[in-house]
Amino acid sequence: MVITWWYLYLALRRLCRQTWIMASVMQKLITPLASGPAEPPRNKVTVVGVGQVGMACAVSILLRELADEMALVDVMEDKLKGEMMDLQHGSLFLKTPTIVADKDYSVTANSRIVVVTAGVRQQEGESRLNLVQRNVNIFKHIIPQIVKYSPNCTLVVVSNPVDVLTYVTWKLSGLPKHRVIGSGTNLDSARFRYLMAEKLGIHSSSFNGWILGEHGDSSVPVWSGANVAGVSLQKLNPDIGTDADKENWKEAHKMVVDSAYEVIRLKGYTNWAIGLSVADLTESLIKNLNRIHPVSTMVKGMYGINDEVYLSLPCVLNNGGVASVVNMTLTDEEVGQLRKSAETLWGIQKDLKDL
Amino acid sequence: MASTQEKLISHVMKEEPVGSRNKVTVVGVGMVGMASAISILIKELADELALVDVMEDKLKGEAMDLQHGGLFLRTPKIVADKDYSVTANSKVVVVTAGARQQEGESRLNLVQRNVNIFKFIIPNIVKYSPNCILLIVSNPVDILTYVAWKLSGFPRHRVIGSGTNLDSARFRFLMGERLNLHPSSCHGWIIGEHGDSSVPVWSGVNVAGVSLKELNPDMGTDSDKEDWRTVHKMVVDGAYEVIKLKGYTSWAIGLSVADLVETILKNLRKVHPVSTLVQGMHGVKDEVFLSVPCVLGNSGLTDVVHMTLKLEEEQQLIKSAETLWGVQKELTL
Repeated sequence: MVITWWYLYLALRRLCRQTWIMASVMQKLITPLASGPAEPPRNKVTVVGVGQVGMACAVSILLRELADEMALVDVMEDKLKGEMMDLQHGSLFLKTPTIVADKDYSVTANSRIVVVTAGVRQQEGESRLNLVQRNVNIFKHIIPQIVKYSPNCTLVVVSNPVDVLTYVTWKLSGLPKHRVIGSGTNLDSARFRYLMAEKLGIHSSSFNGWILGEHGDSSVPVWSGANVAGVSLQKLNPDIGTDADKENWKEAHKMVVDSAYEVIRLKGYTNWAIGLSVADLTESLIKNLNRIHPVSTMVKGMYGINDEVYLSLPCVLNNGGVASVVNMTLTDEEVGQLRKSAETLWGIQKDLKDL
Repeated sequence: MASTQEKLISHVMKEEPVGSRNKVTVVGVGMVGMASAISILIKELADELALVDVMEDKLKGEAMDLQHGGLFLRTPKIVADKDYSVTANSKVVVVTAGARQQEGESRLNLVQRNVNIFKFIIPNIVKYSPNCILLIVSNPVDILTYVAWKLSGFPRHRVIGSGTNLDSARFRFLMGERLNLHPSSCHGWIIGEHGDSSVPVWSGVNVAGVSLKELNPDMGTDSDKEDWRTVHKMVVDGAYEVIKLKGYTSWAIGLSVADLVETILKNLRKVHPVSTLVQGMHGVKDEVFLSVPCVLGNSGLTDVVHMTLKLEEEQQLIKSAETLWGVQKELTL
């Protein structure tokens, strides 16, 4: 009897020891306490398109620690996987624990923000408006898929021509207009502030100036608003922004319009500045900051514009999207320029098929 | 007739402006150089960034693109020129210039091409920043760190190779994937050559001080049922795979460079696996650079942590050293 119990004990001990040896390192090391499915991410950001702009947006968002999950989507599978792996290999230095990528949009599910950079880009000397029809066709595939998997997201459209494509995105998505934003003149304004501040020997964040309207050749610099520490530059120099200006401040705006063409001519594309500006917008959206940014929003009904077009105006951004629009006091000439942009854009939009 | 600037702003400081105190230069504006630059910028490590390259248009375009993002950054001065005078008074100079691996090509194949490029670059850097710390990234990094050391005439503590900082980061990422933990809680050191013959020190692999090798004595051997050796293999293959998929690697190396620059500029005295002169350590007799855990700070690489290695790990290091010396002694410097 005792012997049987003894043998039983030995057998049991052998079993335990074997199980212990057989148990994986993970099982030996870590005892799980909370079982059940993992919580869904709370601040997931998707970037559609892993070209230069998409990856600059992705890296800026990662380095700013804005997301707890990042998804990348593209049609080029190898490039997509390579970019994902390269980012994952940097995980030690980041605070975004989950980085996923797939051609299939299911990987984007439950995103709070979806940044759309996909599409063709300007070649040297080509205007943004030329890209329209090609990018509309791409968007017809992309947008419904995004909305299918993240019906509550806010869409940030970056692909050019951004104002037209933000309109297209709004139509294709069926989302309310305050949740479809175009990166618009956020970048133009950043460039403007950089160039003006350089001329004055100060940091760009201390120079306040807004460029509104179309992101492109016909953007509108609001000279009346340009100020440093509340001091209006136009009051110091009433000719500012006009041809009569001896100091030729208008040159700064011209350089902004030409910037993208210049950088494309020199290095083939632009990416860092637009990436940083998108991360800046993403920060306001995710952190519910109620900061004001010049972004492309639906402006029908404002400034006498009767068409459904997207143009950049100063918008208050928070976690619901565009909460409100600031009514800038514009001169008649500036309002005229906005309306002219609206007409040009509507001229293109009305010919687009199957929206 | 006062200008708008004069009406707006009164300059009151009589002395010359002080100039930057934490200047970083990145040599080479290819994918690795720019990834390093953007990581350094977004991490707000420098008060001035200089870029140098021989391709003038690309260089100017990259600098403009970064400058246009100035509103979102805290590095007020970003300069770029073919001429090295723009790099003067740098605290850290990151060298990424040179040829990169093509698909399937090993890092050692790049040597002679990159030595020739360094013969131009290094003296120019030294001329304008004689007190800087050189951080070499170009491959094969261990050999090129040796080359940079010889060409610069710097003391060995101011010439550092990015070495296996990236390999170890990849290892910790993969380890984290296996254990469902963040990489920063997974500890593992890969030392030796940054490349095919790097050495994973299995005895040091741990989580919260718990040695994984003690839980699984077969770890790192062929008889390991969990095949942890694959994790190291994936690190060695990692770069080749990313190159095959997207043409080059950039983000991970850029982030790891920024990590090293942070430790140096902030004088953190953190321990990183980077490439340094290992002659006299672990039985290595030749004048070669290999990665071992080193203490980094604002003077550079001040101390080396002496790992207790197994006999076969030391033998691997000695073997790497011999391979590297075999290549180095053929070089005309």
